Parts: sequence; C-alpha cells; structure tokens
Amino acid sequence: MSNSVISVISRFLEEYTTKTSNKLKVVDAYLFYILLTGALQFLYCLLVGTFPFNSFLAGFISCVGAFILGVCLRIQINPDNKGDFLSISQERAFADFLLAHTVLHLVVINFIG
Amino acid sequence: MIPNVSFPQRCVNSIAHVSWLASFLAGSSSVFCLVLLTVALGAQALTPSHHLSLSDVERLKGLLSQPFTDLASAYYSIVGLSKLGAAVADENDACQFLKAQLDPMSVDSLFFAAEASQAIADCEVSISNETRDILLAAVSEDSTVTQIFRAVSALSSLGLPLASQEVVAALVARIAKEDNVLAITTALQTATRLSQQAELGGILEEIEDLAARLDDLGGVYLQFEEGLEATALFVTAAYTLSDHADTEPPLKEDQVIQLVNSVFSKKSWDSRSEAFSVACAAAALSSNRFHVPVIVSTQGPATVSHSQPILHLLVTDILSNPLASANLLVESAQAVASKSVVLSQAPFSLRDGIFELNFMASQPASGYYQFTVAVTGDSRLVANQVELKVKVSTEVAVTNMDLSVVDKDQSIGTKTSRVDYPFKAKGSFTADSHQNFAMNFQLVDANTGVELTPHQTFVRFHNQKTGQEVVFVAEPDSKNLYKFELDTAERKSEFDSMSGTYVLHLIVGDATLENPILWNVADVVLKFLDEEAPAAIQSKTLYMPKPDIQHLFREPEKKPPTVVSNTFTALVLSPFLLLLILWFKLGANISNFSLSPSSVLFHVGHACMLGLMYVYWTHLNMFQTLKYLAIIGSLTFLAGNRMLAQKAVKRYGQSSTLTFFTRRTCEN
Repeated sequence: MSNSVISVISRFLEEYTTKTSNKLKVVDAYLFYILLTGALQFLYCLLVGTFPFNSFLAGFISCVGAFILGVCLRIQINPDNKGDFLSISQERAFADFLLAHTVLHLVVINFIG
Repeated sequence: MIPNVSFPQRCVNSIAHVSWLASFLAGSSSVFCLVLLTVALGAQALTPSHHLSLSDVERLKGLLSQPFTDLASAYYSIVGLSKLGAAVADENDACQFLKAQLDPMSVDSLFFAAEASQAIADCEVSISNETRDILLAAVSEDSTVTQIFRAVSALSSLGLPLASQEVVAALVARIAKEDNVLAITTALQTATRLSQQAELGGILEEIEDLAARLDDLGGVYLQFEEGLEATALFVTAAYTLSDHADTEPPLKEDQVIQLVNSVFSKKSWDSRSEAFSVACAAAALSSNRFHVPVIVSTQGPATVSHSQPILHLLVTDILSNPLASANLLVESAQAVASKSVVLSQAPFSLRDGIFELNFMASQPASGYYQFTVAVTGDSRLVANQVELKVKVSTEVAVTNMDLSVVDKDQSIGTKTSRVDYPFKAKGSFTADSHQNFAMNFQLVDANTGVELTPHQTFVRFHNQKTGQEVVFVAEPDSKNLYKFELDTAERKSEFDSMSGTYVLHLIVGDATLENPILWNVADVVLKFLDEEAPAAIQSKTLYMPKPDIQHLFREPEKKPPTVVSNTFTALVLSPFLLLLILWFKLGANISNFSLSPSSVLFHVGHACMLGLMYVYWTHLNMFQTLKYLAIIGSLTFLAGNRMLAQKAVKRYGQSSTLTFFTRRTCEN
C-alpha cells in the first residue's frame, strides 16, 4: 500500500520537475510561500489565541485570497490550457492578477485594524 | 387611463360624496349633542364656588375707604361704598372736596362730581347754563361712548333734561364704530339713564351679543378676556338695564353662576376702579328683579353628633347678607355608604337668621350623608338646589376585651383575662414559640350600642429596650367581633426574633369617631427560639450612607507575552526567505527588465500603491485611500498596460520568428 503511494509521489515529483516550465515553477514557489505563511498564521491562532480576532482573519484571508489568485494566474498562463482561455493573453492574466490583488489588499488593510 | 365619465358628471359625483359625508357628520354630531344634553341634564346643577364672605366685603370696603386724591378716586370710593351700603368716613369733607375739585368745563369732571354728590346726602354741585350746554354738546355721534355716558349720567344726576331718542341714536352709531366690550358695556350703562319710553330694544339686544363673547373656562368661569373689571361692569350694566327696561336678561342660570364665580373669585383687588366694579356687580346681583344667586353654606364644619345634634346652615346672597324671604328644605338625605334615604322633604327652622335642623332626631348611624337642600320663597333665586356632605360622628367604646395565651396544640386550657378600658391588665402575658397570644374585643357605638367597624384598628407592640415597634391590624369577623392572634413562631421575622417585654397598645380611629382610642392594654413577654440578636436594629443602618461602588473599567484583554509574539512574527516572515531561495534556485531573474519609461513608471506606481496600503494602515481612512489609489492606480494602469502590450508584442514577435525558423528548417 505504502509502496504504491511512494511510487505515485516519486513519479509525480519526477514528472513535475521535468515537464513543468520554469515560469510555472516560479508561480508554484510563490504559491508554496503563501501556503506556508497562511499555515503559520493559523498555527499561531491555535496555539496562542484569537486576540485580536480581526487581525488574524485579515491575515489569514489575505493568504487565502492571494493563494487563490495565484492559482488563477497559474491556470491562465499554463500553455496547456490555452484552448480554454483563447481571449485572455498571459499579459492580460497578469494584469487581472494585479488588479484583484489591489482590491484584496485594500480590504485586508481595512480589516486588519 | 382616460376616465370615461365626463367632467361635469365627475363634479356631480364628488359633490354627492361631499354632501353624503356632510350629512353623516351632521347626523353624528346631532346624536353626539343629544347624548351630551342628556348627560348635562342628568348632571348636577352648577352652584357658585365663590362669593364675597363678610370679611371679603370688609376688605372691599376698606380698599374703597382709602383716602382719595382726585375726583375719579373720590367717585369710585363714594359710589362704591354706597353700593355696598356703607358711606365714606366724613361726608361733609367729601362734599367739600368734590366742590373744590370740580372743573365745570370738563365732562369727566362734571360726571364724577355729579355722580358722587348724588351718593352723599345733602350734597349739591352747583351748575350753570354753560355746564348744561357743554354736557349736551358731548352727546353726539362724534364723541366716544364713554363721553356720551358721562355726559348723560351727569345730566341725569344733576336733574337736567335730555333727549333720550337722540342719545339712543348716538349710541347706536357709536356702537357700530366702537365694537369692543367696554364700549358696548358703557352704552348699556348709558341706556339705564334714559327714559323708559325711549327705543331701548336695539341696545337690549346687545346684552345677548356681548354674553356670546364671554369665554367659558372649564364650565366654571365665564369672563371676558379683557379681564375682571370688564366682566363685572358687564354684569352691572346688564342687570341695571334689564331692571330699567323690565325685561329679563337673556342669561341662563348656569351662565349667571359662572359669571358670579368669575367676578368674585378674586379676593384682593389691584385698583380702586376694579374694587368699584366688583362692588357694583355685587350690588346688582343681590338686588335685581330677575336673578338673585343664593349661597348656602354651613356655619362651622358640617358635622353633627350626639353632643351637637343640630345642623346649622346659612342662606345668603353673594354679599353674605341673609335673604329675607327664604325657606330651606331638605329634599333628601342619603347615606353615602348604604345609599338608603334617611330624611326626605324636611323643612329647616329659622332662628336668628340661621337655619337649623335636628338631624340626630332621625337617628342616623354614624357616617357620611349626602344632603340635597332646596331654597324656596323667591322666584328670582338662582342655583337654589345645593348638595352638601354632612358627617355624623359618634363615640366608640371597647367592650369585652379578652386577652389570652393559647397553646398551639390546645392541650393546656387557655387563660383568659378580661380587661376594662382604660385600665391596664394586671399581670403580663407570656407567649413562647408553641403558644399563641390572642385578643378578642368588640367596638360599639357608645350612644346607640350598634357595632362599629372603624377604619383603623391596630395592635401595636413596642419593645421599650430596643425601640422596636411592630403593628398589626385587627380584623372583624362576620359578627363584627374583633379578633387578633399572634403566632409567635410565625411572626418572629417581624420581631427580628428579639425576645423581651413588649408593651401592647390598641389603636382605634376613624373620621367619624370623636374619641379615637390609644389604650395601653397589657405587657406581653415574647420568647423566640434561636435568637439571632442582631447587634443594632437593622433599620438604623438603612439610612446610613451605603458603601461606595467603584466603577470597574473594562479590563483590556490578556495579551500574549511579547516574546511569543516576536517569535511568531519572525516565523511568519521566514517563508519569504524560503521563497527568495526557491526563486534563485529556479533561476528567476530580472535580466529581461526593459528600462522603457512605461515599465519604470509601472513599477514605481505599483510600489507606490503598496506603500499607500501601509500608509492606509497607519494614518488614513478609506475615503482618503480610495482618492490616492484612484490617482496612483490609474497611472499605474496606463503604464502597465503599455508595458504589457510591449511585452506581448515582443513575445509574439519571438514566437513568430521561431515558427518562421522552424518552418524554414522543416521545409529544408
């Protein structure tokens, strides 16, 4: 059982390192960073307490939102998905990413208190 | 939507609706009026609530008797006092004063002097032909009503002839021009001096018109907004003119009473003229031929008892003069409590001007009685049905007072001792937790022996040592026997479980009792179980200042120690380092960075936006941020658009060259 899991994981990692383009790997690194930050914030909340709750929520939602937007960007610039996003060029995806982030940051800073 | 009814038709419809509404309102208001009328008829007739008592009359006379300095005040004093049936202190002096102060050229002066001299016996003011001419000249349409009145009065007082019809014409013309209350009242007064053959009908009608202008205050007072003097002068004028013309004044009984209330409610007057007007009104109302308000009052409190069995009533006019030909009759005397009629159609007997009735002869039980008395004997009397409340009081006696200590399980026989009022029981009574202390007694009317149930029957325990006082109510049973039982165990909270000797008092009181009772009946020793014995009596601390309450401000939430926060801050920021390392490992670089102005501007703008976020967090509010964001954002957007477009062009150019090269190589 564990064998198959390990073999799946190793094959996945191999495919990932060889097949994915550098651009996507850059975005993936960014996503991983966001994930770590969010997880650490959640860990703090669990360990120490929810005071001040609004700040925790702002930080956590910022991470979640950034992660989602990053995922959207990655989907849109992946050349394998070009068929699904005919009208959206890579530059357009990036511009959308920036705009959405502006709104997200505005809301987060408002809520952080 | 076009209405399919033409305009005239619509008009008629709306009129129909309006008329239907009006008729409905009229119907409902008439029904309402009918209801109100029945209510009013069923309600009590109004009786005067104010009149001039003898002391008020004296005060009025005192004000008018003050020394006068000019003709006007002399006139008010002399004539006012004569209306009240009194006279000035020194008549000769007054007469000399009038003659000295007279100015034969002035109508006012002549009026004051002539009227005042008429009131004094043997006082004649000298006149000349010029006087007569001046006075006659004043009677015209061009003088004010006051001038006409003074001229006419002076002429009639001085015995000079005057043409009544001319005066009437002048008055009618002036009334049309001067429509105020005082002017019309003065016109009425003028008419009283004219010959009875003159056409006074038109002026008589003014009484009714003026009466309509009176203000009704709460159904009790009726007065002009011009004040007391105007109302009093109106009353005087109306009745004097009605007497003169021998026509009943068009004032209803209730209106007369309301006028009486208004004129006589003020008991100290501001000026001589006000006092004069009140004196004239009082004289007019007590001696005119049509309406004489009657005042029925009790002499002293309206109480009868066995020692004072006679009810005394005074029947007077508003000047507190006893009415000469009046008879007083009790129409009914009804007990307030039981609503039974005790007396009916019983006449009062007159003795020394006071009406007497021996009410105790009807043997009424003690309590309150509602009397309806009627004054007869004169058809002019107004408000001659009066309601009075009479109290019949009596003396109470306590009989059959039995004190006993009863065992709760009633195994031991009770020890009853009889105590007689006003003595105290010889021994003291002891009651502990399994005994009850009981008291039985009867309250009877000392004169008739009838059992009484007064309002207050209290049993009071007073601890001499601690000052405690506990009061209980003794209640009668169905046979009017009073019973009081003290259950020591049950009532220990009221006594604060303080054992000791309590002095027992019986308190009996009622409004109809002449002899309230406070009787020290006995001493009672009470023994309580588990004596808590509070140090001082609780009530003492009730009125001391209570301990201060300190306001507790909301405590701030507990924050984690700074070490923990700092650690976690570092921890949360550490993934950024990881990110940089990963990117470096992946080979991400900024070698493709084109230094075109749009990309520079874009990056600068973007950095500014992030900086704005920080400034928003520390200093700004949402509105300011949005303002700056709009400016920076639009610049960044334009720059970014250009930069991305350039990048896109470059990318497409690369890929197209690539395809071109591949196609070329493939072809090859």
